[in-house]
Amino acid sequence: MYQVIYIEEAIADHPRTLSICERFPKATIVYCKHYGEIFNRKGQNFRLQKQKPALILANKYKNLVLDAPDGYGIGGHRNYYFSHMLNCPYDCRYCFLQGMYRSANYIIFVNYEDFQQSIIDTANQHPDETLWFFSGYDCDSLAYEPVTEFTKAFLPTFRQLPNAHLELRTKSVQIRTLLKSEPIDNCVVAYSFTPEVISQALEHGVPSVEKRIDAMVKLQQHGWKLGLRFDPMVYQEGFEQLYQQLFEQLFSRLSTDSIHSVSLGTLRTPKAFHQNMANLYPEEKLFAGRFEENRGMITYQKELEEQMTRFCYDQLMQYIPQSLFFACTPTEKL
Amino acid sequence: MINIITALPCEARALIDHYRLQGNRHHNAFRCYQNDELQLIISGVGKIAAATATTFLAASEPQRSSGWLNLGIAGHANTPIGEPLLAHKIIDAATEQSVYPGIILSPPCHTAPLTTVDIPEQHYRENTMVDMEASGFYAAASRFQSCELIHSLKIISDNQTHSTDHITEKTVAALIADNLNTIDAIITALQPLAVQLESNKQPPAELYNFMERWRFTAYQQNELRLLLRRWHALALDTPPDPHDFTDCKNGKAILIAIKDHLDAQPISFEQANH
Repeated sequence: MYQVIYIEEAIADHPRTLSICERFPKATIVYCKHYGEIFNRKGQNFRLQKQKPALILANKYKNLVLDAPDGYGIGGHRNYYFSHMLNCPYDCRYCFLQGMYRSANYIIFVNYEDFQQSIIDTANQHPDETLWFFSGYDCDSLAYEPVTEFTKAFLPTFRQLPNAHLELRTKSVQIRTLLKSEPIDNCVVAYSFTPEVISQALEHGVPSVEKRIDAMVKLQQHGWKLGLRFDPMVYQEGFEQLYQQLFEQLFSRLSTDSIHSVSLGTLRTPKAFHQNMANLYPEEKLFAGRFEENRGMITYQKELEEQMTRFCYDQLMQYIPQSLFFACTPTEKL
Repeated sequence: MINIITALPCEARALIDHYRLQGNRHHNAFRCYQNDELQLIISGVGKIAAATATTFLAASEPQRSSGWLNLGIAGHANTPIGEPLLAHKIIDAATEQSVYPGIILSPPCHTAPLTTVDIPEQHYRENTMVDMEASGFYAAASRFQSCELIHSLKIISDNQTHSTDHITEKTVAALIADNLNTIDAIITALQPLAVQLESNKQPPAELYNFMERWRFTAYQQNELRLLLRRWHALALDTPPDPHDFTDCKNGKAILIAIKDHLDAQPISFEQANH
């Protein structure tokens, strides 16, 4: 699958490096001093690289656990995120990563134990509070599980930290590890959705809505808590009907008893990222919509945003109690 | 367009014949050859010469998005003579800086590190090709192009059992000629990537039609470019045509009229799926 795997010299002999490389015996190994030499350099093209991304294995030295951005919470006192991986095998046209990173190559930070220690330390600093740790901010939490064995490694950490909650955010159906594991109360498997017609146009390589629902049903039957993320909501003419159908499709198969949380967020991207993304894909219809700049963020026009949020919120309230709902954008109008 | 940089005329000869490249008399700083799809420049030996020639070629057509290939011979301690190797890491021996060509094409040959030295060395370095141009070539080319379109392909000309004493102009020309299939495969793989980048950078064709008719400030020209790009992305039935905006008196009015027209268009992704 990979032609080239770049490896930081310092972790060349790390057991996780060796086991990942074993999966790709035909790949050429190229050693580097620091992943930034490849990932952060100027003069690379995200769109070209996305056609054949390379894998970079690296060590993360600092900032292993970071404060989550505003609007990322689902009810906790403190919200954090951590990224064992940067970039994602999927190719969603609205994804901010393609505007934020210069490279489409995948980085896996192999020093999981350092991340785990940092999570434990953070949880221990606030023993009386509910902490949330989000793992799907810079990557999809599950999509690369066969290679990363991320959940296999991290679930035991959270199992022993009752005040620390983990959100696995994903569009993936790679749930084998979860189905083999005993569910834990402080972990939510949160699936992101847009209506099928939008997903087909914009979420390249992502399993269909139906397949994701199938995976959620299996997780539900196994006892895992589930999350639903409609973030971003993407506008198209007649969005009402599309989102209505999507909600029907979901809630006809998912029991609200297994739903931990549902969140809504409108499409919003920092201006510089949005410009990068539109320059990478000038022919993309998504970027030809009616947008405006609002405090450095590119968003749909306010009126449209409110209309979408209000509609989807009202629809969702037919299926779930208010207590399960979390808005990823200002909620004063709800 | 693919730009090829060789150090020596004997490295270029087989390519000039194979691709039927014609000498370009307008360029007198370097010997240059070209056809409709390729340009070749003979830089002379050394990384400064390679960087200068690369810059010269890039500056001759600054608007163009091209692929770049540094082609030549290299030594390697234990690789057989005549084997082609694509560089996956280029190390400048003097500065110890490394750069990494972005390999998204499927290489038709093996890949290896390549170390560029300033003066010929008596002893072979371990696990690397050795040449005298690649780091200079790459440093210059990367000013103009994305790393996925910049590559160095070397044909092994000498090793521990077959020293540089055996290298002649004739043997070099033969080494290149023997590897034309590999060279051609790399050029063929680079061409669509260059076309893809080129098409992304090109402004919408109608931009100039509007600019001929109305006066736009530099800022407004950029706004117009973005609006026309948006027009095309919406895949509307009719292309943007200045004749449809004859009521507009100036550039500002044009921008408002186009924006209003685009804002009124419905967005649907259903067509995008077909």
